[in-house]
Amino acid sequence: METMLATISEQLGPMLVILGAALAVGFAGSGSAWGIGIANEAAAGIMTEDPKKFGYALVLLALPGTQGIYGLLVAVLSLQKAGLLGGGDVTLTVWQGLGICFACLPVAISGFYSAIWQGKSSAASILMISKRPEQIGKAVILPAMCETYAVFGLLVSILMLNGIKL
Amino acid sequence: MSSQGAYGYAVARIRAMEHRLLDQGVLQRMIDAEDFASILKILGETSYSSALASQTGGSDFDKVLESDLHSIYEEVRTFVPDKKLVDIMRLHYDFHNVKVLLKSMFNVRTGGKKRWDLLTSLGSQPLDDIIANIETEEYRLLPFGLNTLIPACITVWEQSRDVLEAERLIDKRMFEVMLEMARELDMPGIVSWVRTRIDGENIRTLLRLKRFGYDTAGALPFMHDGGTIDVGMLASLISEPFETWGRAIDFSDIGKVLGGIDASGGYSNLILSLEKLLDDHYLDKIAAARYSQTAPENIPAYLWAKETEIKNIRVIAVSKRNKGDKDHLRRLMRHGYIG
Repeated sequence: METMLATISEQLGPMLVILGAALAVGFAGSGSAWGIGIANEAAAGIMTEDPKKFGYALVLLALPGTQGIYGLLVAVLSLQKAGLLGGGDVTLTVWQGLGICFACLPVAISGFYSAIWQGKSSAASILMISKRPEQIGKAVILPAMCETYAVFGLLVSILMLNGIKL
Repeated sequence: MSSQGAYGYAVARIRAMEHRLLDQGVLQRMIDAEDFASILKILGETSYSSALASQTGGSDFDKVLESDLHSIYEEVRTFVPDKKLVDIMRLHYDFHNVKVLLKSMFNVRTGGKKRWDLLTSLGSQPLDDIIANIETEEYRLLPFGLNTLIPACITVWEQSRDVLEAERLIDKRMFEVMLEMARELDMPGIVSWVRTRIDGENIRTLLRLKRFGYDTAGALPFMHDGGTIDVGMLASLISEPFETWGRAIDFSDIGKVLGGIDASGGYSNLILSLEKLLDDHYLDKIAAARYSQTAPENIPAYLWAKETEIKNIRVIAVSKRNKGDKDHLRRLMRHGYIG
């Protein structure tokens, strides 16, 4: 029993880091996929009538994809900080593991929700350029507003990771 | 079943299809055109060019417009998640066909001719099936409760020779079916729009009945249930001057529309103005959802806009053929979907 508890306390730290990394990639990536899916519907709709709009639509389709990249970045930074990428022995306390896990949450949550709403904004902007393609500049700015909050999440996740002493 | 989340693609495609609608500039040029040939030339520069290419003579013009509208209905039906949303817009054509077939039947029985030239392919049900089922008296195969309605209409006509009464029964059933379909769709915007259309139709009917001297009791059976205004209250308006109708029902959307009508002309002008304002109001109401990229209301809004466009073209064509006054023509124009 004592051996089992010792193993758990030894492994729990790294496991929490892995959980955090999984949440960061999983939630931010899911949000991106969801957002791109929403924007894709609108893009497919206008391209059925006017395939020449692909170039404009592509810019707007790509926007909700950035949150997935932010999630991936934070996951890699977390795993690297915990020494899980090198293949060597990892010694982390439970509290350090928990800290890294929590540090992954801002990008996971803000990435998930901002990507979905950015997808909706992109879809609306795609409808806008279907009528007024000359307004592509403004059409990109509107969904880019949602990006701000994903960037905040990314920034706070990185600051929190840097703040954890190992 | 409502599947509003699935409308992203459909609304985007509709938005792109709006480019095919004629803008105000083209309509203006058509109004200013010298003759019917000039109208054909202007339309030849628009999305109607391919449909016009198949035209062989002036008499085919209506068929060109019908075929263009038919192709739009068919195209929209292919990508709309709820097909009933398109069918609800085509319903009045189904019932129009039923009326034509019934009147033809009555005509033949009194020594007249069939008027199948008035049938339209724009209905949601295959026209051949409707014709075959009515001709062979296989009423049980007819949709929309027509299996019981048509025998009832025939009985009414046989007993009274009253075609108007048969038409009244058919119209009543049409609005019942329309409201049922809207409720089945479970989309509040569509239900509200259908109810507004029922109100509008009731007011239009009431004005016509007033012209023919009907009283409240006589008008009440012609009112359709399901609107936002109580039919008893509406029917009682028939004894009041038209100018007061707007105030009496100002709690409703339609009441505000009535307030904008100049009632100083005769009944003919009044009915024309009312029909135009009602058509515009129906469009304004359904197009209120145009800024949402997933609102299913965008589908009927586009279809209604297309219907309105066809109506405008027909009015211009008839006016040009009869050398009508341009100013009068401008007043008859319904407004467009896109500014």
